[in-house]
Amino acid sequence: MSHLFGHNGAIGKGYAQPQPMATITPVSLPSTLMRKQAPKWPRLSEPEMVRHYTWLSKRNFGIDTGFYPLGSCTMKHNPRINEVIAQLPGIADIHPHQGEKHLQGLLSIYYEMQEMLAVCSGMDEVTLQPVAGAQGEFTAVRCIQEYFRQRGEDQRTKVIVPDSAHGTNPASAAMAGYEIVEIPSRADGRIDLDALRAVADETTAAMMITNPNTLGLFEQDIVEASTIVHDAGGQMYYDGANFNAILGLTSPGLMGFDAVHFNLHKTYSQPHGGGGPGSGPIGVKSQLAPFLPSPIAGKRDATAEELLHSVDGSWYYWLTPEHTIGKVQQWHGNAGAVVRCWAYYRRYGNGLRTMSEHAVLNANYLRHAIHREAEAAGVSHMFRDGAETIVAKHEFTLSMEPAKQAVGISAMDVAKGLLDRGYMAPTVYFPLVVPECMMIEPTETESKDTLDTFAKHFVEVLQQSPESLHEAPTTTPVRRVDEVYAARNLCLRHPFETNELN
Amino acid sequence: MVDQLPNLGREKEMLAAMGMESMEDLFIDIPNSVRVQGQLPLPDPQTEEEILADARRLLGANTNHASRPSFLGAGLYRNYVPASVFQLVTRGEFLTAYTPYQPEVSQGMLQSMWEFQTLISELVGLPIANLSLYDGSTAAAEALTCAVRVHGRKATQENTVYVSELTPPDRLSVMHNYCQGADIQIKMLKHGPDGKVALTSFEEAKGSCGVYVEQPNPYGILDEGLTTAKEIIGEDTALIVGIQPVSLGMVEAPGAYGADMVVGEGQPLGSPMTCGGPLYGIFACHKPYLRLMPGRIVGRSVDVDGNEAYCLTLSTREQHIRRHRATSNICTNETLIALMGAMHMALLGPEGLQELALRNMSASQKLKEELSNIAGLNLPHEGPHFNEFVLEVPGSANSCLEYLDSQGIFGGFNLQEWNPNITNQILVTTTDQTSLSDIQMLSAQLRNWVNHKGVKA
Repeated sequence: MSHLFGHNGAIGKGYAQPQPMATITPVSLPSTLMRKQAPKWPRLSEPEMVRHYTWLSKRNFGIDTGFYPLGSCTMKHNPRINEVIAQLPGIADIHPHQGEKHLQGLLSIYYEMQEMLAVCSGMDEVTLQPVAGAQGEFTAVRCIQEYFRQRGEDQRTKVIVPDSAHGTNPASAAMAGYEIVEIPSRADGRIDLDALRAVADETTAAMMITNPNTLGLFEQDIVEASTIVHDAGGQMYYDGANFNAILGLTSPGLMGFDAVHFNLHKTYSQPHGGGGPGSGPIGVKSQLAPFLPSPIAGKRDATAEELLHSVDGSWYYWLTPEHTIGKVQQWHGNAGAVVRCWAYYRRYGNGLRTMSEHAVLNANYLRHAIHREAEAAGVSHMFRDGAETIVAKHEFTLSMEPAKQAVGISAMDVAKGLLDRGYMAPTVYFPLVVPECMMIEPTETESKDTLDTFAKHFVEVLQQSPESLHEAPTTTPVRRVDEVYAARNLCLRHPFETNELN
Repeated sequence: MVDQLPNLGREKEMLAAMGMESMEDLFIDIPNSVRVQGQLPLPDPQTEEEILADARRLLGANTNHASRPSFLGAGLYRNYVPASVFQLVTRGEFLTAYTPYQPEVSQGMLQSMWEFQTLISELVGLPIANLSLYDGSTAAAEALTCAVRVHGRKATQENTVYVSELTPPDRLSVMHNYCQGADIQIKMLKHGPDGKVALTSFEEAKGSCGVYVEQPNPYGILDEGLTTAKEIIGEDTALIVGIQPVSLGMVEAPGAYGADMVVGEGQPLGSPMTCGGPLYGIFACHKPYLRLMPGRIVGRSVDVDGNEAYCLTLSTREQHIRRHRATSNICTNETLIALMGAMHMALLGPEGLQELALRNMSASQKLKEELSNIAGLNLPHEGPHFNEFVLEVPGSANSCLEYLDSQGIFGGFNLQEWNPNITNQILVTTTDQTSLSDIQMLSAQLRNWVNHKGVKA
């Protein structure tokens, strides 16, 4: 083990710094404001620091390490040029308060991204302000809320979500102050229009739904659902977590949605960084546009004087919509993520449809390959499709319920068995409507060979003895972690007092 | 495009394995009425080389802060991030991982974040820190709603919090957005002409759920009065202190003067400004807030063999379990930027942090000394300051900043953007990256401004 707090290499000094500037009067603070006790931080020399974090990195699994079929998370390859671009001083070393003439390049990239996202989603206006998917949801729900307040429709206090929705949907709407109405899905996981009709009324502010849904199935009744909600006077909200499946094929606008968030860290390859940063822009139809938060990049012809700073003969500027809800993050959103995703989008351009087609091709191919291998090995009775369907979209679900019933192998056991074979496990136990669920999303950046091999390994795991799977994983940096112990014996920071780690 | 899709050209073969003939067979479930007709109206794909060339040209058109003296701060600070931080944080195992839901193969990030929690806890003097919120503004906003969840029942000023009236409008706007859903009323804490909180306004805040102040405050002032705030507001009102983390190398940790929650923009430790994102929001608190706080947290545990191991814990507060009853909707956070922060902190050590704070303060002191020699300029707030202070100029701040800009200097932040009634004040910031020649250039140009361009009676 390497422990950060066990290092004390560069005693007294860590990283060597230039001398403080000489002043006439020495810098001083009143005693009440002086720090009395230094933080118990370690002091690492550079070689120790590099080795510690390299050691830690080897105990972590990323897309670069291996196949990462984490359903709903769209773990595609992150092109490295994006990282090179994000470290250029023209993005890393700029300040949001510097004037527009000093930010023309970034503004033009924002403008281009707004236009592209509007085109892909069928929305009218886009803001790049929200910094994560959940924040995009919250932002759009706030816009809808202010829209109704301005119309005097204060009685719209409810937001409808299907029971298969991502947890962030109800959490975001509740944070804005809405009451949540959850409606059950049909047996095949799709939206139940009768259940929707039963709850959509003059108290409905919005319905939040993702399509393809969380089972990876296209909601064919989506236009009907939009009509039901619109007829009741509500707005339709599209959770863009699954946008990777539909670019250039269909769009939320065509399906009747009024607002959309995009997870740039899923669809447009901002690396997820072990939990973030992300970026969660939103797009809306024109009725909601006056409520969007700034910044939004606008564009007009440059004046003669402005041409000196212009990047393309146009002048880009920040604008704030008339009835803006205000800010949800203090600055211009996650500009670094926006620039990375711009680089990614430029790689595909009008070929984004091919990207989505391959995401769907790979998901369906893998689903077939797993069934085919299972049949050949005689284990197809151990699982079933999470929902009956001919085709899936970018992801699919399997239920391990039969294996659980027959031999006591749970979805979690299979997940841990896959870890031992060098894979990241699929998403497990989500969506909640599928018992013993495994949700598998290969993305478009995996080769056929990887998918074939994974299917074989998946089936081999099912052929393992239940006992061996309960023991899995055995080849990982640590074995099954006791989460109950962690919650009952809370240790949320280094307990220096007992010094037991060093 | 072609270098990103390994199965281009293998479509037929893969489709055949599924008994399909064309890609269209995969989309039979999408009704024609909602299909996109034709190609997306977007430009043709580019190669990596072409994209890099465009990026260099466009981003090169932005004025970067290494290219000229800059005195812009106001919440984001130019700093030096050691080279090893960038080298390590772009290791694919960190960079390309998802949230550590499978702890057995995510020990690297989990342990790093547990160490980060310890570093932040020690920095601010509170026992608990989460592994980051989006930025300083959302951390402050979430602290306010958390204060109401914790103190709501006992509060005599129901659903009410008090926030320093100097809080920058954009940060305040985030607070309003986060608070309005729970019907939380935000009242203003008054400041005196010296820029410090009027102690009487802490009396007013008594009985509310929480009080939000900043140290250093948005004018860069270090306010001694804040160290007595907790005594005044009492146990049943949360004291929330917003900090600039580097300042804590010199300035007392808020935990030591009674803060219940500490929040702030982590950026000056470990992260470049990146035009305001991605950053990381610091969130730390005392035990009574633990089970109602927002965000992820890592706990140390053991594996089945009894070996030390780490995992996410207290997840029942979070949206993926608790759904609409979650303490926050946050899911994706800023883990990787927090990791950069941890690396920077580990390299600095306690003495290095103190030195870094001293460099910031010394540069600011030096600039004050230079500017106070220039007749016609005024520094309205007496010290102490951390690394920024208010400067009053003759004429308008706007014209003065434009003049400085024309001379190749970012002269600071026009405070008219925070308060439309103030037209002659500039917030001037120095950091560890401010050089003596930067200060000399600014002083010389301000002297010029006062003598030749300023408004004279």
